[in-house]
Amino acid sequence: MRRAPSFRDRLARRLPQLVLSPSLVVVFIGVYLFIAWTGWVSVSSSRMLPRYDFVGLEQYGRLWATPRWQTAVTNLFIFTALFLAVTIALGLLIAILLDQRIRAEGFLRTIYLYPMALSFIVTGTAWKWVMNPTLGVQKVMNDLGWDSFVFDWITRPEFAIYCIVIAAVWQSTGFAMAIFLAGLRGIDNSIIKAAQIEGAGLPRIYWSIIVPMLRPALLSVVVLLSYISIKSFDLVLALTNAGPGSATEMPSTFMFSATFRRNQMGVGAASAIMMLMAVAAIFVPYLYSELREDRHGR
Amino acid sequence: MTPFARLLLATAIALPDVAPALAEGSLEGIHHWVSESEVNALKVITDKLASKGFTWVDSAVGGLSGANATQALRTRIAAGNPPATMQFLGYEGIDWAAEGVLVSLNDLYAANGWEAALPPQILQFVKADDTFFATPVNMHRQNWVWANKAIFDQHDITPPTTWEEMIAAGDKLRAAGVTPLSLSDETWQILEVFESILAGQGGAEFYRTAVMGLDPDALASETMVKAFDTLRAVSGMVDEGIAGRDWAVATGRVAAGEAAMQIMGDWAKGEFLAKGMQPGVEFLCFPTPGEAHFSFVIDAFGMFRNSDPNVTAAQIAWAESIMDPEVQRQFNLIKGSIPARIDVPVDDFDACAKQGFADREAAIASGAMLPGLTDGFAVPPQFAGVFFDVVGAFFVTAGMTSQDAVSSLVAGIENAR
Repeated sequence: MRRAPSFRDRLARRLPQLVLSPSLVVVFIGVYLFIAWTGWVSVSSSRMLPRYDFVGLEQYGRLWATPRWQTAVTNLFIFTALFLAVTIALGLLIAILLDQRIRAEGFLRTIYLYPMALSFIVTGTAWKWVMNPTLGVQKVMNDLGWDSFVFDWITRPEFAIYCIVIAAVWQSTGFAMAIFLAGLRGIDNSIIKAAQIEGAGLPRIYWSIIVPMLRPALLSVVVLLSYISIKSFDLVLALTNAGPGSATEMPSTFMFSATFRRNQMGVGAASAIMMLMAVAAIFVPYLYSELREDRHGR
Repeated sequence: MTPFARLLLATAIALPDVAPALAEGSLEGIHHWVSESEVNALKVITDKLASKGFTWVDSAVGGLSGANATQALRTRIAAGNPPATMQFLGYEGIDWAAEGVLVSLNDLYAANGWEAALPPQILQFVKADDTFFATPVNMHRQNWVWANKAIFDQHDITPPTTWEEMIAAGDKLRAAGVTPLSLSDETWQILEVFESILAGQGGAEFYRTAVMGLDPDALASETMVKAFDTLRAVSGMVDEGIAGRDWAVATGRVAAGEAAMQIMGDWAKGEFLAKGMQPGVEFLCFPTPGEAHFSFVIDAFGMFRNSDPNVTAAQIAWAESIMDPEVQRQFNLIKGSIPARIDVPVDDFDACAKQGFADREAAIASGAMLPGLTDGFAVPPQFAGVFFDVVGAFFVTAGMTSQDAVSSLVAGIENAR
C-alpha cells in the first residue's frame, strides 16, 4: 500500500510553482496585459488620454503617412544592422586577440569593458562633444595643422545616424568581447591541438572550428545587442535629440514624442505595436530555431 | 511611546512628502520650474500662499520643456490622484478643461475683476466654454533679438527693421569675420526664428490664418514659400558648431562676443544679466524684424477637482496669490518675463522689459498679439509637431527647396487632423 503523500512531499512538489507564481503574475500584468492594452489604444481615437472607442486601423494609416516615422524605421534598420555587425566583429576580434595569452590581459580587458559601466546618457553627451566640429575631433585636427580635415557628420542629416552607430559600438564592444572571451575560454584546448596536428593553420582553426563553437555566445550577444538597439532611446536623446531636423529619429523616440509631447496617443500606441511586430518577426523564428537545435544537440 | 510608534513617527518625519494630502491646509502643485531664478520666482507666490495660511507642497518635475511634468500629471490623473494645481503651457490646460477635470474659477474671476486685468488675447488659454479654468502669472515674449552692442558699434550696424536688412547685416558681419547669428540645430530654436519670420513678413493676419487657422491655401501660399526662402538665407548666418547647442550656450556666445545676435524669447535676458551686463550698454534687445508683433507665451496654473474642502480652500488662496498684482510684479522681476496682468506698475523693470510692456500695449491695440507656435500656444501639439518636423528638416537639409517644405507642411497638417 502506498503511503499518502506527506505535507512535506506536497510542499516540495508545489514549491517551485509557489516561488515562481508571483513573478509570473507580475510578468503577465506588467508585460502581456499592457501589450494587449497598447493594442487596444492603437485602434482607438486616443489623443491626450486613452479613449476606448474603435476606429479600426486609422492610427496605423496616419502613422505610416508620417515621414518622421518612415525615417525612424529606416534608421532602425541601418542602426541595428551596422551596430550588430560592427560590434560583433570588433568584439570577436578583440576577444581573440586577448585570448593569445598576452601580458597585462586583465588590465586591457578592464579598459575595453569600461565604457559599459557608463550610462548611454553619458556616452551620448561625451560623443556629442567629441563629434561636434567646433569642439571635438575636427577642431583638434585643424589645430594640429591639418586644415582640410572635416568630420561634421553630426551636423549632416544624411550622416548623423552613423554618429549614433559609432557611439553605440564604442559603448557595447567591450560587452560583446567579454561574452566571446568567456566562450573562448570554455573551448577545450585539446581540440585546437588536434587541429594543429592535422596541419590546420591558426586562421583556419579560428574560422572553421572556434568561431562556430562560439554559437551559444553569439546567440546571447545578438539577442542582448538587438534589444539595446531597439530600445536605443537615451543614447539618441543625449547624442542628437533625434536631430538634426528629425534625421536620427528612432521608433522609440517617435513613440515617446507622439504619445507624450504631441497628444497622439493612438499613433504612439500604433508605433509601439509596429515595433513589437518587427521584433517578433525577426526574433521568434531565430530563437525558435536556436533553442530547438539546442535541445536536439543534447 | 512604543518602539513601533516611535518608528512610525521617525518615518513620518523623515518622509514628509509621503502623505501631503493628509496635512491640513496644504496645496500640492506640479510644475517644471527647476532653475535657480525659476525656483526663486515661484517662492514669491508660495510665500503669499503661506501668508494666507496654506503650505505649498512642491512636486517639481523638470526636463524636456515640461514634457516630463506632463507625463507625471497623466499618470497621476489616470491613477485618480490629481495634484491640487498644475502649471500649464499652451493647449495643455484647454485639453484638461475639455476632459472635465478642472475646477471652474468663474466666481473668483467675477468677484475680482480679473478678466479686465488680462490681455484679451490670452483669455483663450485660461477660459473654455465660458468657464475660467486657470490663472496666468506671467508672459514671455518670444520674438526678441539679443545683440552684442560692442559688435554692433564696431561694425556700424543698427537694429534691422526688415528681414532683408537682417540678412544684409549678416553678410556684412560674415565678411568681417564675425558669426552673425548664434543658433542651434535644435528644432525648437529654429522654429522660434521661423515663426518670427512668418509673423514679421506675412503679418499678423497671415499668421492667424496660416498657423492658427491651419488654412490649407494660406499654408501653401507664396508668403509661406517666401518665409522658407528667408529661413534658408538665415541659415547662412550661423556657424558650424550648432549641433545640439543649448540655447543658453548660444546666448553665452553673444554675451562673450563670439556671435553678434540671437533670436530667442526673453528668458535669454537672464543670461546677460547674470554676467553683469546692462541692457542698452553691453547688450541690446529689439523685436525681430518685419511687421511689429508680440509673440507671447504664458505660464498659467489650473486647479484639479478635489473632494477635500481643505484643498478647495487652498486652491482659492492659490489662485488669489497668483493674480495678486504685487506677487506678479515681484515674480516677474525675478523670472525675467512681464506680468500677465496689464495693470502692474512697470517702474522697477529693466529697459528690455519696459519695451516689452510698451510693445504689448501697442500690439493689443493693433491686434498683433500672437500666441507663440514653438511653445504650443498657436496650435494644438499634434499640429505644432508638424511645423517642428518640417522646419527642422528644412533648416539642416541643404537640398530641400522651399516648395518641398511647403508641400510637406500641407501634407503633414492634413495627416495630423
